[in-house]
Amino acid sequence: MDALQLFLGNIWFFLIGLMLVLYVVLDGFDLGVGILSLFGGDEDHRSIMMASLGSVWDANETWLVVLGGALFGAFPLVYGIALHALYLPVMLMIFGLIFRGVAFEFHAQARYKLPWGVAFGAGSLIAATCQGVILGAVIGGVPVQNNRFTGGLWDWLQPFPLLVAVGVVFGYALLGATFLIIKVTGELQQRSYRRARISAWAMLGAAAAVTIWTPVLHEHIASKWFSLPGFFFILPLPLAALLAFLMLMRSLHKGHERAPFAYSLIVFLCSFAGLAFSLYPYLLPPAVTIADAASSPKTLVFMLTGIGMLLPVMLIYNSYQYFVFRGKVSRYENHEEDLPEQPV
Amino acid sequence: MDILLDTAILSRLQFALTAMFHILWPVLTVGLSLFLVLLEILWLKTRDPDYYRHARFWSKLLLLNFSVGVVSGIPLEFEFGTNWAPFSIAAGEFFGNILGFEGAMAFMLEAGFLGIMLFGWQRVPAGIHLFATTMVAFGASLSAFWIMAANGWMQTPAGVHFEDGIIVVDSYAAAIFNPAMPTSVLHMWLACLETSLFVIGGISAWYLMNERYSSFFLKSFRMAVLAAVIITPLQILIGDASGRVVAEQQPAKLAAIEGHWQTNPPGEGAAWALLAWPDTKNQRNLWAVEIPNVLSLITTHSLTGRVAGLRDFPGRDQPPVLLPFYAFRLMVLAGVSLAMLMMWSVWRWRRGALQVHRISDERALLRAWVVAIPVAYLTVEMGWLTREVGRQPWIIYGMMRTEAAASALPAGAVAATLLGYFLIYVLLLIVFMVFAARLIQRGPDLEIALPAAASNTGVGTARVAGSSASQRE
Repeated sequence: MDALQLFLGNIWFFLIGLMLVLYVVLDGFDLGVGILSLFGGDEDHRSIMMASLGSVWDANETWLVVLGGALFGAFPLVYGIALHALYLPVMLMIFGLIFRGVAFEFHAQARYKLPWGVAFGAGSLIAATCQGVILGAVIGGVPVQNNRFTGGLWDWLQPFPLLVAVGVVFGYALLGATFLIIKVTGELQQRSYRRARISAWAMLGAAAAVTIWTPVLHEHIASKWFSLPGFFFILPLPLAALLAFLMLMRSLHKGHERAPFAYSLIVFLCSFAGLAFSLYPYLLPPAVTIADAASSPKTLVFMLTGIGMLLPVMLIYNSYQYFVFRGKVSRYENHEEDLPEQPV
Repeated sequence: MDILLDTAILSRLQFALTAMFHILWPVLTVGLSLFLVLLEILWLKTRDPDYYRHARFWSKLLLLNFSVGVVSGIPLEFEFGTNWAPFSIAAGEFFGNILGFEGAMAFMLEAGFLGIMLFGWQRVPAGIHLFATTMVAFGASLSAFWIMAANGWMQTPAGVHFEDGIIVVDSYAAAIFNPAMPTSVLHMWLACLETSLFVIGGISAWYLMNERYSSFFLKSFRMAVLAAVIITPLQILIGDASGRVVAEQQPAKLAAIEGHWQTNPPGEGAAWALLAWPDTKNQRNLWAVEIPNVLSLITTHSLTGRVAGLRDFPGRDQPPVLLPFYAFRLMVLAGVSLAMLMMWSVWRWRRGALQVHRISDERALLRAWVVAIPVAYLTVEMGWLTREVGRQPWIIYGMMRTEAAASALPAGAVAATLLGYFLIYVLLLIVFMVFAARLIQRGPDLEIALPAAASNTGVGTARVAGSSASQRE
């Protein structure tokens, strides 16, 4: 392992982390809106909720595809081992994403809408749960020998990954609710304030439990947190997250429209930074590090020119799409042919 | 049931199912999005509202098609890791990288502008909308390029070598521009255009047959015929070129496709089996309907050219014969039929039959166009079967065997997800058909508001009633 390869590997650790943040935050609020759609609400509300995502969910989900490709190319070993180890949660997540994704158009087309409304909500919930389980299982460690996964099919079915999943589901619900506060009005917006508060408390509870449990369960992370100078690097993160949480509750209380989403983002970013710090330099603890899994410098440089350089461009045109569809959403946002005043 | 216990076979079946299902959708996205660019340019140039209405009508189909396409593409990317972990670990450096390129350069571009293209008519100026449509179309075609470059590399790996069990890239240029890449990309891209033009022409023909919106759909029908004039013969030529790359680079695959067991002796031509029943155990055909010298002719362009037979390859290096043999023949038959349908249409056009008042008399021709829709999809599926089954027993031709590339998963787990995919995909296909049929039944909205931003009045939303050129039902 030469220094150049390690350096490039670190760059890709950062870039993939960035893609993961983008995916988790952007599709996170999509999935969160989906999860919230399961609870109380008539077909009208569900239609508005789906319309609020209609123009952006596809691009948001595409970050997962970009992330997958980047991980596959930059750290093939991680791609092969992690997906093999997490076969069932990954497949279930895909099934969830399939139902969530087709639901948008099928719900709009269907005469009897309920099944596709449920597919939207249930698909989102399943996908979010599986993503939490995957995250928890990776933190928990994956047994590896000779570059092959040596564990079992059900290894991920442990209390810790399930607890992480609870945190992720409520975290997504928080993002979804605060996103809806920006996009909708009236009764649905009022409900979203309430749901944001509930989700935020539940997420805080789960996050606290995960934070306490992580070092107890996983020695490699404990040694990192409670040694110097690591302790001083990690310490500001929970404090900042807590502060953002308080600001979030305050802005929800005051009825601000945009601030709650922004504070939720900060909570997510802090959690993420904590996660990245805890894992580094491991990609799959306790065996696979950046140095073990990084592709050759030639490949990593080639990927930087082809994918890394494009990141800002992708961000620009994605932002433009958000800009075009800014403002409040209406039920008939994307299906003007269904406008009631028009003959069908 | 042995196969239910064999993880590698179940993983192959799962990949085959998910890939064969997925390919149904992007073929239409690639072609239809290009058609939308054309329509939008025509609309902006001529200001004929019919072009705008056409664009709006076909984008509805595109959106419905895209929703299934996008969700069915995700399993493919992740299956490389879940079911083919040893392949991913060994080949990720090149293969994963290219999938990453596809995601970042092409797929994101498509997704990033799709919303504006579909829902942004009233929100952005005409020029920006055209730009968005162009980016969607460009992204879709670029996506096909990267996927076919990656698949071409699995057929004819170049620019790499094995080192400690990992495939290391020596030259990205050589790997991307591998011997199979140019014909693979072109053949698939033309297949997308060809399928799309028969979908557009077939649906238009259905309206013409039923005398609904006749002048409106005569426009798109004629455009489909014109496109077919160029694309159907070109596709046959590229198909032939693609076949010769196979003959050169993957001789065992070619022999399997042709059911050709015994290498022809020098000075004698190899016969081409029109139909045959392969007997793999005894390394021969049980029976065959053969045409002398033709295999030499089509493979080497000489009557006595040498064509290696399957017996020249050890049994463990031979692909299955039956499936590639018949899939290939079905593909060729279907492709040639589509070209003949094009010629028939041109002949009727020259006879003046493609006019509003005469077109509905062309019942047989119009019905043939409707039938051509499933035929076009069948052609694509058969092509992929030939290509991928013929590559066996290799996942990366000559470098890595398929059986060595499968994740060591419990067979039951793969069987369960295979069943899951099967059930979900059957459901999606049925629902898609119902909604697509309903969309077509409903027909175009000839009173749809013209985009305010793009209309000449520039104020508010212009509403134009069905113009004289477009009779309503």
